[in-house]
Amino acid sequence: MSKKVPDWLNSSIWVSAPSQRDRISSLFPSSTPTTTSSDSRPPPLTEPPVPVPPPSVASREESPLSSPTGATPQINERKDRHGEGDQPADRTLSEEDVSRQSQLLAEVGLSVCNALSKQIVDMREVRRLTAQGVPDCAGIRSTVWKLLLGYLPPDRSLWSSELIKKRSQYNNFKKELLINPSEVVRRLDDSASPGSDHSHSESSGMLLRSDITCGEHPLSLGKSSIWNRFFQDTEVIEQIDRDVKRTHPDMHFFSGDTPEARSSQDALKTILILFAKLNPGIRYIQGMNEILAPLFYVFKNDPDAENVDFAEADAFFCFVEILSGFRDNFCQQLDNSVGGIRSTISKLSELLKEHDEELWRHLEITTKVNPQFYAFRWITLLLTQEFNFADSLQIWDFLLSDAEGPQETLLRVCCAMLILIRRRLLAGDFTSNLRLLQNYPSTSISHLLYVADKLRQKTSG
Amino acid sequence: MVLVLALGDMHIPHRAPDLPAKFKSMLVPGKIQHIICTGNLCFKEVHDYLKTLCPDLHISRGEYDEETRYPETKTLTIGQFKLGVCHGHQVIPWGDLDSLAMLQRQLDVDILVTGHTHQFTAYKHEGGVVINPGSATGAYSSITYDVNPSFVLMDIDGFRVVVYVYELIDGEVKVDKIDFKKTTTTNAH
Repeated sequence: MSKKVPDWLNSSIWVSAPSQRDRISSLFPSSTPTTTSSDSRPPPLTEPPVPVPPPSVASREESPLSSPTGATPQINERKDRHGEGDQPADRTLSEEDVSRQSQLLAEVGLSVCNALSKQIVDMREVRRLTAQGVPDCAGIRSTVWKLLLGYLPPDRSLWSSELIKKRSQYNNFKKELLINPSEVVRRLDDSASPGSDHSHSESSGMLLRSDITCGEHPLSLGKSSIWNRFFQDTEVIEQIDRDVKRTHPDMHFFSGDTPEARSSQDALKTILILFAKLNPGIRYIQGMNEILAPLFYVFKNDPDAENVDFAEADAFFCFVEILSGFRDNFCQQLDNSVGGIRSTISKLSELLKEHDEELWRHLEITTKVNPQFYAFRWITLLLTQEFNFADSLQIWDFLLSDAEGPQETLLRVCCAMLILIRRRLLAGDFTSNLRLLQNYPSTSISHLLYVADKLRQKTSG
Repeated sequence: MVLVLALGDMHIPHRAPDLPAKFKSMLVPGKIQHIICTGNLCFKEVHDYLKTLCPDLHISRGEYDEETRYPETKTLTIGQFKLGVCHGHQVIPWGDLDSLAMLQRQLDVDILVTGHTHQFTAYKHEGGVVINPGSATGAYSSITYDVNPSFVLMDIDGFRVVVYVYELIDGEVKVDKIDFKKTTTTNAH
């Protein structure tokens, strides 16, 4: 007989009731009213609504990284703010739940600050804490992500030198790669024949024709021609431009006519253009902008002013780091290879079969919902499109906390996403299941991550 | 970095059927921002073809053009340079550099593009530069039968112009370039 679904999965506690909350497109994450049963199991860690967006946090709170001893008064401040910001009446959350959750979160925040303030950061500790969710304040997330992605080394004394090195490297990239071919040719000319005055000395007379440098002319069709590559890049640049304008149209940070939005868009464009130029094999694929957006957002909203100035450079390197693990997903030729997207999707399928055979059978065999229809976007875009922005930040905390890279964790989260709505999936046919999976209902993220974590313990145990 | 194509004297269909294939393979849309044509296309299909390469097209009338409404001369400003176009059959003696210099001073332009002689020339004088892109199809002229197909592409970048000369010699495209800068003392009235 096939494996039965374990009892703890079937408990009503894990079923999210979509009617109780709408998907809000604002920054505030949704909270959990579904703790219907008593506290027989530990209450899921939620991120309580943050009443002020992160940039203004700086004005009310000093960075905990600089003064770990000052952390205690900050916790109280945080708790108070969370208390004020709690939205009335709609939530069935009790007062004590709120304060307990914010206390738990504050404790996590304090532990993270402590871990970060050590001379040599204990990466395992940071990973463990991050998996529970990073609190949304004082630039903790920004620093934690930089550590997890290997941008900052664990040794704190090396931070400033590393940052200076990487940031100047980024500036060099910009200077070298963003010039047009006329400039390049002019520099080649000047270096080839320095100091020679071309035709300025003659006041009149026939102009002499000279040889072109390195066979370069604007209409050149040669593959290695600077001009040809420039014109090919123009197409890529146009596509990047279009995609950047469409990124997160509901967020003021990314979209609209404000100078803030325009500078964000320019930064995103520069990063993507540089990436495309530095990686001619993969160039730019639609979707890369979605992976870049959370990174840039988090780094730009760091309360440390210096970090904000260099958010673009930092985001570039972290983006490269994340993509290095997922490159194969974006390369069409590698679709069918061992590391390609098809095999990843089949791994997800296997995972689902292992944990919940009934659901797997129903989805793939009975209703014939091919996982490619929904999992492709989940996997290649790292779930940025399935949840609202704040939720996806929390999911990314969880994904990045895995020491072996986000791929395995991502599959577990996807599997958990399927399991959480199993009742509706089991009751649905092809059309309704597909519609449900392509518009994943909003749910409690901490539930989701808790289930995902449980899946790991089950497979390893 | 503005790319300006200068060509003319195609005489299609009277003296030549079409541009050389090698030229056509290089002239693709999307690269060129302006086209200056000295005239003698001669008929509408050539105009349409040039329009597909680039929407910004400036043509002056040659004596064999079937379209009578092209202007005799035209001036335009691109970047820091003023350019003028005239077919050149009006300037007598044909191809005489001093007379063309007179026309250039009349039009008050830095670069004058003319044709009619079907021979490439680039000449500098105190008033500016005269460029003759030759005949893009290699059609015979009123003066000579020995014509190599040629055209000119100008890369205007601030005060500097790089003129790329494309010539079809013995079936191969040969590219040369000419560099010059605009000095602010010229054209100071």
